[in-house]
Amino acid sequence: MTKRRKISDFMANAMTYFASFISILMLVWIFFYIFSTGMKSFDFKMLTTNYWSTNYKIEFESPDAGSFEKPGSLGDSVAYSVKYGVGFEDVSTKSGTMDLQVVYIASDSPLNSGTNAVAGETLGQSQSIDLGSNVQRITYVNSDGSYASEGNSKGSSAAQLAAALDQSVSIDSMQYQTPGGGVGGSLKATLMLIGMTLLFALPVGIFAAIYLHELAPKNRLTRLIRSSIEMLAGVPSIIFGLMGVAVLFPITAAFGIKSTSILLGSLTLAIMLLPVIIRNTEEALIVVPNGFRDGSLSLGATETQTIFKVVLPSALPGILSAVLLSIGRIIGESAALIFTMGTFIMDKPTLTQNATSLAVQIWSVMSGENPNFGLACAISIIILVIVLILNLTIKLITARLMKKWSA
Amino acid sequence: MNNIFTVKDLDLYYGDNHALHSIDMAIEENRVTAFIGPSGCGKSTLLRCFNRMNDLIDGCRIEGNIEFRGKDIIKDKVDTVELRTQVGMVFQRPNPFPMSIYDNVAYGLRCQGVKDKKVLDKVVEESLTKAALWNEVKDRLKSNALRLSGGQQQRLCIARAIALQPDVILMDEPTSALDPIATSKIEELMESLKKDFTIVIVTHSMQQAARISDFTAFFLLGDLIEMNSTKEIFHLPKDKRTEDYITGRFG
Amino acid sequence: MSVRGYVNKNSLKRRKVVDTFAKTVFRLCGFISAIMIVVIFVFIVQRGIQVFFPGYQFGNIDFLSFISGFTWRQDQMIYGVFFIFINTLITAFGAALIAFPLSILSALFIAKIVPKRFKIIFTTVIELLAAIPSVVYGVFAAGVIVKWIDSFASALGYTTRGGNSLLAVIILLAIMIYPTITTMAITAIEAVPKETEEGSLALGASKTQTYFKVILGSARSGIVAGLVLGLGRAFGEATAVSMVAGNALVGPTLNPFDITRTLTTTMLSGLKETSGLDYDVRFSVGIVLMITIVITNFIIHRIKDKLGGEKA
Repeated sequence: MTKRRKISDFMANAMTYFASFISILMLVWIFFYIFSTGMKSFDFKMLTTNYWSTNYKIEFESPDAGSFEKPGSLGDSVAYSVKYGVGFEDVSTKSGTMDLQVVYIASDSPLNSGTNAVAGETLGQSQSIDLGSNVQRITYVNSDGSYASEGNSKGSSAAQLAAALDQSVSIDSMQYQTPGGGVGGSLKATLMLIGMTLLFALPVGIFAAIYLHELAPKNRLTRLIRSSIEMLAGVPSIIFGLMGVAVLFPITAAFGIKSTSILLGSLTLAIMLLPVIIRNTEEALIVVPNGFRDGSLSLGATETQTIFKVVLPSALPGILSAVLLSIGRIIGESAALIFTMGTFIMDKPTLTQNATSLAVQIWSVMSGENPNFGLACAISIIILVIVLILNLTIKLITARLMKKWSA
Repeated sequence: MNNIFTVKDLDLYYGDNHALHSIDMAIEENRVTAFIGPSGCGKSTLLRCFNRMNDLIDGCRIEGNIEFRGKDIIKDKVDTVELRTQVGMVFQRPNPFPMSIYDNVAYGLRCQGVKDKKVLDKVVEESLTKAALWNEVKDRLKSNALRLSGGQQQRLCIARAIALQPDVILMDEPTSALDPIATSKIEELMESLKKDFTIVIVTHSMQQAARISDFTAFFLLGDLIEMNSTKEIFHLPKDKRTEDYITGRFG
Repeated sequence: MSVRGYVNKNSLKRRKVVDTFAKTVFRLCGFISAIMIVVIFVFIVQRGIQVFFPGYQFGNIDFLSFISGFTWRQDQMIYGVFFIFINTLITAFGAALIAFPLSILSALFIAKIVPKRFKIIFTTVIELLAAIPSVVYGVFAAGVIVKWIDSFASALGYTTRGGNSLLAVIILLAIMIYPTITTMAITAIEAVPKETEEGSLALGASKTQTYFKVILGSARSGIVAGLVLGLGRAFGEATAVSMVAGNALVGPTLNPFDITRTLTTTMLSGLKETSGLDYDVRFSVGIVLMITIVITNFIIHRIKDKLGGEKA
């Protein structure tokens, strides 16, 4: 080889290395940013807690002071009330104010006996205090029978509050604000969305794949059907959002649902996922050996019996990976859902109302005046971990499937 | 002797390909009839006409008729599902379903809505016994059929077919994927089965045809060249081409 | 024992009915899936064009000023989509210009050059990049790319609006479409028959020359399909882009440090109301988006056919 050719070959080769390593760099950079920013805000508790903070006023069933030792795990910055077994801490918030947070409650503390004191449906129901709640005011009874109160609303510090409580004989009531910033509602909405979407999409998608692979004649109509479904796969998700509003909204409205809703979102996603499910199911059907079909039919089974008793059970692993793939798409979807489910974060989502999925909650907290990067990255961590697990599972299933039929 | 199948002027096309040319023949009841001929001569195609398995192939068109017990089975009105319970089939490659041995044998009856456990138990035992498999598998009826050896799998497929108590069993080169020992077991089995069933077998092996069959039909390029008792075909072939084939001059 | 006696006489009839019914359901599901594309198209077009016709209840938009306008101000009822269309083309093709060469090089590397045991690392990386949801890309872009562009711009003496810019959109989209194009290109390269490769090597070409001249040429069809898919994703990407685009009111924007506005960000902006002209005009923008994608596909395929005689 001439020297020039060698040099140009080397350059070309080096370029391919360069391009490929950029992709690794990109992936590492994205994961590093998301995890390093999100870990500060991430907390397993956020999976169950509300996004919006709520104010509570509670009264106590067994308000008398006792004696509780301070656990060693609490640091010096925690002001601890020995009489009630509760720890407080002064915490500065992102908005610059100081919170007086409850950071510890002993399991048999009188504070655990609280009942809701605000008139309404929940009046009298027991109410446990979330850790991290901001204490507005605790009213207590002194030894001379007089009432007094301390708390954030009176400008008290954690130390002042704990000291005041330790001089009292019983507590009367407490007002506090839950921490908020959780994703419990969105997580629940996401699960509902996954369930409903699969409920609509799976039967139609699997049946359509059965039709195309097992029954459809090889003619122009079938080819047309195939290319239509192929085209559906190329439609951007935001267009599916518009479709949901234009086509499906009137349908859900006919069932009395006045706003966009989880139901509408799942119907929309169901249509969006049809090509995914059809394609993957068909690929699973293709690898089912024809001998199974011939054998079953030759024993006098009808085509339907053959499909349900022999073909589908053999295609099950492939269908399962179609399901996992769909779940991944549902979790990551945002544009279509913004149109069909709205962007208002709901802590108690219902099928017939607006709600956000985890992904849309990210969009919601990012698109305001002050984007909340910490929360957005924390939710991103949740999504990324789920997506990673799903991808890994699909790979395992595919590998086992390959082994099974090649053996 | 009764003819169970009578084929009259049968033509078969795959799209533009004329695969069978005006075949006329009769298959005798409770006898073994062998179809021989070189690859692509149409013998398997004809076999699959007897239980209408060709229906599954796109662009397949059949003209003429086949009478099964005096009833034409080519006309569309015939119920293929019912026909296949009376005309069973065993395929070239053993194709047990990925389920237990028991479920494989019970499959056909269950498809027809038989749920009575006692009946199924009895049929499974009888069929496996007839297929000379019972002693080998009676202790592991619940284990997966795919774990059996190739020869056992093929006998299971025969058991599965005879569980429906069909009149005819079609066999499409049933031993071509098996080793010599498994092959001889299946050949023995056929000998005992012909008391109860009519057997039509497609085979590549002339020795096999000579060993097991009562009648032999020789096909070439979609034509039925000659059909006669096996003895006659192998000793006194009437057609020059038959003679060339059985003496190994081509094929 | 005869089993025929145990088979219910009606069972065959019932089975046939179930069979016919099930097959009808299967066929129906197939047809429903196929018809959805038509339903989507018809309903969006119908809702999108109504704003141009007299008799529309919330006022009218002049069709000509819609398709030729250079300003989009919902507050002043000015809807001109032309500059947004141009912006969208710039962002999508800009992204493809960055991603396409990188994708091809990576695909060659992964399919042909990398040692077998390391291949899994790179394919996994590509799969993961493809699996990351677009909002997560959006957060990354808003948190990292935007800041990087801001400091880069100030180093050059430009000011940006916090880094939200045309360049940010282009880089974000390039990252997002890179795995799409790469995956398709790998598939296409691996489908090239071994004989083609050996033929070139036998003529004295080096391995590298064979990869770049022969293999890429033979895989052209699949690579172009990947490009079309990538461009489709770039045109249609909404949430991530809306986090860094900045929603310019006028345009088109050619300055990479200036804010921009694409068709999809326009459809996503100000979603407070759910009816009226402001809402319905999103459908009109949606029509423009669909037409853009269809025409681009068509043109790219024509170019591919012109470039090589191969019909695939």
